[in-house]
Amino acid sequence: MKPSPNRVYVVEDDASMRNAIKNLLRSVGLEPQLFATAQEFLDAKRPDLPSCLILDVRLPGLSGLDLQRELSAANIRIPIIFITAHGDIPMSVRAMKAGAVEFLTKPFRDQDLLDAIQASLAQDRVQRQKDSDVADLQKRFQSLTARERELLPLLISGRSNKEISAEIGTSEITVKVHRGNLMRKMQATSFADLVRMAADLGIPYTKV
Amino acid sequence: MVSASLNRRIHFLYIPHICMETGTYSSAPSSATLLRYYEAFMRIPESPVFRYGIALLFVGTALGLSLLVHPSLPDGFLIFFLSAVMLAGWFGRTGAGLFAVIVSMVIVDYYFIPPYRAFVVELDELPYFLTFLLSAVVTSWLGSARRSAEEKQKAHLDELFEQSPEAILLVDLHDRILRVNKEFTHIFGYTIEEIVNRSSIDLIVPSELRTETITAREQLAHGKDLNIDTVRVRKDGSHINVSEVAFPVVASGKNIAYYIIFRDVTESKRALEELQKAQAELAHLSRITTMGELAASIAHEMNQPIGAIATNGNAATRWLGQQPPDLVGAGEALECIVRDANRAAQVIGRIRSLLKKNPTPMVHLDVNDIIQEVLLLTAYETSRRHIAVMTQLESRLPAILGDRVQLQQVMLNLIMNSLDAMSAITDRIRELRIQSSRNPDCVLIHVEDSGHGWDPQYSNSIFDPFFTTKKDGIGMGLTISRSIIEAHGGRLWAERGAPYGAVLKFCLPISADAE
Repeated sequence: MKPSPNRVYVVEDDASMRNAIKNLLRSVGLEPQLFATAQEFLDAKRPDLPSCLILDVRLPGLSGLDLQRELSAANIRIPIIFITAHGDIPMSVRAMKAGAVEFLTKPFRDQDLLDAIQASLAQDRVQRQKDSDVADLQKRFQSLTARERELLPLLISGRSNKEISAEIGTSEITVKVHRGNLMRKMQATSFADLVRMAADLGIPYTKV
Repeated sequence: MVSASLNRRIHFLYIPHICMETGTYSSAPSSATLLRYYEAFMRIPESPVFRYGIALLFVGTALGLSLLVHPSLPDGFLIFFLSAVMLAGWFGRTGAGLFAVIVSMVIVDYYFIPPYRAFVVELDELPYFLTFLLSAVVTSWLGSARRSAEEKQKAHLDELFEQSPEAILLVDLHDRILRVNKEFTHIFGYTIEEIVNRSSIDLIVPSELRTETITAREQLAHGKDLNIDTVRVRKDGSHINVSEVAFPVVASGKNIAYYIIFRDVTESKRALEELQKAQAELAHLSRITTMGELAASIAHEMNQPIGAIATNGNAATRWLGQQPPDLVGAGEALECIVRDANRAAQVIGRIRSLLKKNPTPMVHLDVNDIIQEVLLLTAYETSRRHIAVMTQLESRLPAILGDRVQLQQVMLNLIMNSLDAMSAITDRIRELRIQSSRNPDCVLIHVEDSGHGWDPQYSNSIFDPFFTTKKDGIGMGLTISRSIIEAHGGRLWAERGAPYGAVLKFCLPISADAE
């Protein structure tokens, strides 16, 4: 089985543990990138691939929880699997609230870690797809004229061409032409498709 | 130290006595034999018959000699008779001295003062006769006074010898026992009669120390004083711990005998051992307490390799489960398991040695190793408490001679104190700085923190037992640490940090054969 390209990062200060995780991941065909400190991870180049981060809670200098906060502040979304030698409940609650995928206590079951990695990579793959789709839609949305952009919220609110023409003060035929251009530029295959795109773009309904 | 000053004291008192004893016999064949003659001579019978008889003997001898020289030397009698009365005074004391004077007076008047052979004195000769008489009285008195002074001095010295709280033994150059005192008979259980004239080494030296003792005696013969703590045997065969001081008795530049002084140290040795045992127990207790405080840190330190072993085991299983099995990958994982298991065993070994009760041997140690081993144990604790640890360790420090566990305990105490002192600090960096450096004759270690330090009013008491500023401290950490460092011949002291915190410093002497 040829694995789809991805990146697994490991930040762990203990060399034995770091090596052990590397051995485990390699035994299932993953090639992790290893870091001893949070700063090394921040300084590293990260390719645009589905990724996940295996992060020790207790690290010298910047701790695992600190790194999670920094990444979130920098709007870097990467699924995080925490591992810790002594997990206490408040600590794990904090980590999970801040969006961690999993919180494992050493020594953990290997299957738990591998499952968490697979889940994280899948989640990231979906997230990345979604992000790139939205970026695509944004581009198409930018190509619309001002009038077409004005029209979109009215359209997806389920108003008829006639109601719209009355609302924006133009002929019904003009609304029809704008609507046709809009569908084409947004590459919408159906009206339902357009509604979904508008939802992804976060365009609000205009209440009747 | 005590025995050394004792040594000097005895020396000072006894040497004049010995010199006097031996001065008379400078040309004698064997000094020890002479010493015995002298002892016998000093025990002259006190009977009046002997005392007066000997006075007569001296006077008679003087008369004989005087008659012999009289024809050629008319005044020669003076010297003989004066000598006779002096000797009579010395041997027979005042009474016999005066008796000799009277007899001499009569004889001299009869034989040597004109008119000869008559008990009368010519008027012209009267001053001459009276001068003789006066000289004789004075000489006789001098003799008896000298004798009584000598006796008094000897009595004092004998008293001192007998009453000395230490056992004293006098042996000749061939180890024959000449004399022992009362304390010696008490300590060793022999009576004087049983022991005099026998070999001291045969009687009181355990057979396993025989060669050593003979060597020491030879060194003594070469003028080296001896001052040792050793074991001797009593008459009943039981052993006794003694502090032994020996020195030669010197006369005219030659050794004539040896004094050996013993002090029974069984009791003080036992007390010292009890004290050391109590100190070791206290230190052990304090180690256990500290290790208890470090339990979380130790668990963490153990959990890392165990977690790594489990994970590597899983990896190896997966490598082997593949079709075909990946032996290279499995081998790598297994190598890691061995390494991690060794690491776990090391941690356990370190902890076990710290919890051990028995003292570990004194060995050559690198102070930096000690520091790093302890920092490993406290690493989790420092990270949990958000304390930055800075080390500045001078490389290639000379070795010191020490007990690894005890020195680790000192480091542990100082570090844990520093961590506790910084627990309330929120407005500045929590920093533990550890430095090692080489001084001319010692290795110096600093343990510095940015904590609250201590109130200057307590400067003198921080090393006192049971002094503590911690809520739940027992106040023995620094006391024990100081006693450990001092037992290593070093020093431990505290300084106030600037502008805050505390600096604990200790120095350990560089081992003499370290380089």
